Amino acid sequence: MNRATAVFKRIVVGRPMSHGELQHTLLPKRIALPVFASDALSSMSYATQEVLLVLALAGTAALSMVVPISLAVSALLAIVIVSYRQIVKAYPGGGGAYAVALENLGMYPGLVVAGALLIDYVLTVAVSITAGADAVVSAFPEMLEHKLGLTIGLIGLVTLANLRGSKESGRLFAVPTYGFVLSMYLLIGTGIVRCLGGCPQAESAHLELESVSLLAPLLLLRAFAAGTTALTGVEAIAEGVPVFRYPQSKNAATTLTVLGCLSISMFIGLSWLTDKTNVVYIEHLEGQRTVVAQVANAVFGGGPMFFVVQVMTALILVLAANTAYTGFPVLASILAKDRFMPGQFKNRGDRLVYSNGIVILAALAALLVYAFKANLTNLIQLYLVGVFLSFTLAQFGTVLRWRTVRTPGWERSAIINGIGAAVTGIVLIVVVVTKFGRGAWGVIVAIPILIFLMRGIHTHYAEVSEELASPARKPAERRRGHQHMVIYVRQLDAATARAIGVVRSMRPADISAITPDPATGAAWRRLAPEVPLTVLSGRGNVRKRVRDHLLERRQHLGADDFLTLVVPELLGSRHLLEVFRRPGLTRLKASLLTTPGIQLLNVPMVRDEIDPSVDEAVEPARNHVLVLVSGVHNATLQAIEYAESLTATDIRAVSFGLDTAETEELGNLWLDARIPHPLEIEASPFRDIGLSLRDYIRQFEADGVNRMVTVVMPEFVVTKKRHQILHGQTALIVKRHVLFERGVSAVSIPYHLKAG
Amino acid sequence: MAGLGTVFRNLSRTPDEIRAENLRAWQGTLTDVKPIASLKSRERAKVAGVIQNIRIDPRGGTSIEATIIDGTGHMVAKWLGRDRMLGIGLGMGLIMEGVCGGGSQGELVILNPEYSLVSNPEHG
Repeated sequence: MNRATAVFKRIVVGRPMSHGELQHTLLPKRIALPVFASDALSSMSYATQEVLLVLALAGTAALSMVVPISLAVSALLAIVIVSYRQIVKAYPGGGGAYAVALENLGMYPGLVVAGALLIDYVLTVAVSITAGADAVVSAFPEMLEHKLGLTIGLIGLVTLANLRGSKESGRLFAVPTYGFVLSMYLLIGTGIVRCLGGCPQAESAHLELESVSLLAPLLLLRAFAAGTTALTGVEAIAEGVPVFRYPQSKNAATTLTVLGCLSISMFIGLSWLTDKTNVVYIEHLEGQRTVVAQVANAVFGGGPMFFVVQVMTALILVLAANTAYTGFPVLASILAKDRFMPGQFKNRGDRLVYSNGIVILAALAALLVYAFKANLTNLIQLYLVGVFLSFTLAQFGTVLRWRTVRTPGWERSAIINGIGAAVTGIVLIVVVVTKFGRGAWGVIVAIPILIFLMRGIHTHYAEVSEELASPARKPAERRRGHQHMVIYVRQLDAATARAIGVVRSMRPADISAITPDPATGAAWRRLAPEVPLTVLSGRGNVRKRVRDHLLERRQHLGADDFLTLVVPELLGSRHLLEVFRRPGLTRLKASLLTTPGIQLLNVPMVRDEIDPSVDEAVEPARNHVLVLVSGVHNATLQAIEYAESLTATDIRAVSFGLDTAETEELGNLWLDARIPHPLEIEASPFRDIGLSLRDYIRQFEADGVNRMVTVVMPEFVVTKKRHQILHGQTALIVKRHVLFERGVSAVSIPYHLKAG
Repeated sequence: MAGLGTVFRNLSRTPDEIRAENLRAWQGTLTDVKPIASLKSRERAKVAGVIQNIRIDPRGGTSIEATIIDGTGHMVAKWLGRDRMLGIGLGMGLIMEGVCGGGSQGELVILNPEYSLVSNPEHG
């Protein structure tokens, strides 16, 4: 990364944090509440409105049912909070619904929850930000036509805040969350006082609605289901236990209780005021303000307090999206660890947050908002299926957990969770039945698709690790293979001359050269008279001719022998784009990587290294061979066998890591495998293997003439192209950094995975 | 409100400098620990640092080396004839005591030190 982009990234994303600083991002209760509870609290700003929308179908008179329905929803909320306090205690290490379901109910229920939660996180962002934009538009009606742009812009802002890391965003978000709670209480308090002398009336109170539907039990159920949106976000605290300060379970349980009290009082208070001020809210009416805006306008009679309420509402809704930004990447990384998602989701970014998850979440949410043209009511229809699915399975799983652990007082906890599971199970059915036709079907279709994908990924990884650990290749039994090297001569330049020197120093069993250009013959015989040059004539393009030649050679070699194509490359500059300057060569290399039994040795040289007084074809005196290692498995063993086939000053394995337990484990595996070469494990505290490797290489002070470094990189090649995404692009990133270093050659040792 | 000067200083501090500060704060909580930069060969000393590099050499009698940094410099703990990691991992805090010797690249080495390990030393 060049300096300017580094400074830009520093200012926008913040300075990189080393792994040791991770602990500093643990949250105290007063910060954890806004971070995890903003979702649950913010839904107060639209829960009443959603209930009202449904009731309006039965005419103006039915609107007063909003209070009893809010009481019923509050009772449900209380049950879930009490139940979740037990879950948090049962899982002090962080009891996400996924982990609980996986552990107690098995893989498929675990994946159902995982799929449901992933979808709901995306919806949380989409719904919250859209509602936030509604609040802004209610305060400033002239913004109405820019609502879609406003919504997507807000998603971008929250994404940036989150890429900076959770502690700072926690602080950033504390003020508006508490501000929202205060402004709501002020609104409710003022409303109660003003109602003592006759309630003020909302701007829509005069609207008379025709009844288009009977106030039948089914409509009441629909209204209730709409109101249960008030429950979203409770699970976020259980997912987030590991981010709380110690004692984590106790702090999380207390935070849950506080959240429950705040939510219930606000919900009932707002619904009561809505009823008293006679707010009317209906679907498909352009320009009507949100229910909260109407109530606030009536109670405060416009004025500054009205704007305070609107601003606070908008802010907390934006922050609510933040809950998903904390939850989604953590869940994705847990799934990646369990091998249900690609390994890339495990990576923490420069700021110790799970960057890949954050970016994907933002993109999906923005897409959804765009597709639904930022219409809140339509988006909300998709919501809640996932929430109640995971509520039910998590609580049910915890009941089973209590039965196995049987800690003192477990019966009480089990009964609480059992009641919770039964109640949310019934609500789940209600939600599915009432919302199915209005969009929830999309979620019900998407969950099995996600499960199918996650299971496929899991199977693939399992097959790969089995293949890699296959005892068929034991280092003690292996025969040392012979090394056969073929130099690919495109033109006779300094890099080609250097390649001859490098290859000579490695002392392979035999050296030959191939060229597509018959004109190089005479000069070649002066440069390397002992190396036979074959001119590749014949049909087809150069790539195919090279490949056919190598395959033909391969047929006559033993299975343990290595056949290496040596590719000299003269680079014009140290600019990254230089790598893409020769598309033909890049395609040749790519096609050979997928050809079993052939290795590639890159001998790059940057033009400014050329020194006319030096004969590059003279072999360097010292060659340090480094084998990059990420684990002890067959791909590593194959790379070490390769390194042993080269004559070198020394051979060592190098691994870059940062996790204490992982590096200790790697050391023990290395010792167990009795590999007769030293292993160095280097800290890569800022998680950039390429840069760490570059610094490591520089200690050898290679000049390419007297001293050189050869980097041996195992690379996974999969049969199916779509599987490549499941196996990080580490080799690619590493090559990019190695290519421009003076005196460094790089060998790719493809390991062909049969799995998949 | 932090002054503009502080803001600029914080922006310009490298991650390594911040790390060194964290490490010195940790050492402040330990007794009799000497900074690596102040040590001389053949001196008996107690030092504390974070493991930054591990080298396992199975040739001959297996040896395990751990390089630690303490914010003032780096030095090496070397165990001979040991073929288990026993808790040695990157990022682990290592408190060790022994007689310092010279290594091949001029760095200080303590052979088979008395030691204890602390996880997550950088945040006490």
